[in-house]
Amino acid sequence: MTGAIWNLLLALAWVVLSGDFTGLNLTVGLVFGYITLVLIEPQVEALQGYPARIPRILGFLGFFIKELLMANLKVGFDILTPPWHMKPGVIAMPLDARTELEITMVANLISLTPGTLSLDVSDDRKVLYIHAMFLDDEEELRRNLKEMEYRALELFR
Amino acid sequence: MIEFIKGVFILSGALFMLLAALGILRLPDLLTRMHATTKAAALGVILIMLAVALHFGEVDVVARALAIIVFILMTAPVAAHVIGRAGYFVGSKLWSGTVKDELRPNYDPLTHELKSGMETEANARREPKESDPS
Amino acid sequence: MEIVILISQVLMALALILAFVRVVRGPSLPDRVVALELFASIVVGLVGLTAIQSDVSSFLDAAIVIALMGFLAAIGFARFLERGGPRDD
Repeated sequence: MTGAIWNLLLALAWVVLSGDFTGLNLTVGLVFGYITLVLIEPQVEALQGYPARIPRILGFLGFFIKELLMANLKVGFDILTPPWHMKPGVIAMPLDARTELEITMVANLISLTPGTLSLDVSDDRKVLYIHAMFLDDEEELRRNLKEMEYRALELFR
Repeated sequence: MIEFIKGVFILSGALFMLLAALGILRLPDLLTRMHATTKAAALGVILIMLAVALHFGEVDVVARALAIIVFILMTAPVAAHVIGRAGYFVGSKLWSGTVKDELRPNYDPLTHELKSGMETEANARREPKESDPS
Repeated sequence: MEIVILISQVLMALALILAFVRVVRGPSLPDRVVALELFASIVVGLVGLTAIQSDVSSFLDAAIVIALMGFLAAIGFARFLERGGPRDD
């Protein structure tokens, strides 16, 4: 968290000093600030782990956007062609996420990928009930969901 | 070049919204309809807001467009979750082609208790406590 | 560019009509709520298009407010539907 604030402050300083108030220049400032933080990480205790987190977040974003587009096209194809190919159903997924924040994030991510919709969490917070649209290959679906949960949890821990 | 990318974003956003509307009209039951609407419509709004950000290209407008995108990404799944859960527990029918439902047997409509199905004998046993009324 | 915006507006108006059919026909209340939420999303998109078309960025504020209202309406309807249950969340 400290790292993110410092990165933003450095970017703002860059924008103010160069006197060019555009989004592009702010991005340039963010990149330079990040490089600076990477360079001084060994010296400063509070920055530990921040530089490694950014590539992970970017990788996760890429993975997520890919999933979003692919699955949206799949659902779209099924909507547009007359016979139904879908096999909807409600499945229970055991959760590795423990705290409320982690469960919220995982449930939101699962809701955002088309083809899956998180319905409810059991009272003891151990199982997430998911409505899935394509249950042709349940094992495959469960593996995909687990991978998504694993990648999301990686960002927090 | 920017004009072209903008046009592609706008057109695909509108197409995704049309897809969501077609889905809400054609799909057979509440939960499958929610699949079509929330994600396709959210993706459509995101694409159009990206086009808006590209069109104006000033810091304040880009920040506002990004704020809308983040807002949509945070609220769309929450709204889908609350409506889906309310609809399911209120008792909307599932489509006849639904292959399995692992939630129904674990739900108690009287007490609104939702079990995980992972309770074992050890978890369910209850130890007497100091605070219990005698 | 003008033509692209015009085509998109036509497509989204069509989407509004289709969603409206579901609002009228929808067999149960949750169906109608879902359709109305879709309405809000499409209107946000239309407002964004209007901002591009007229080159006035202030329209985005209206888009933010509409998105917020749609979300709050969905939450409110869900609470209304689930009334009576002793859930603590």
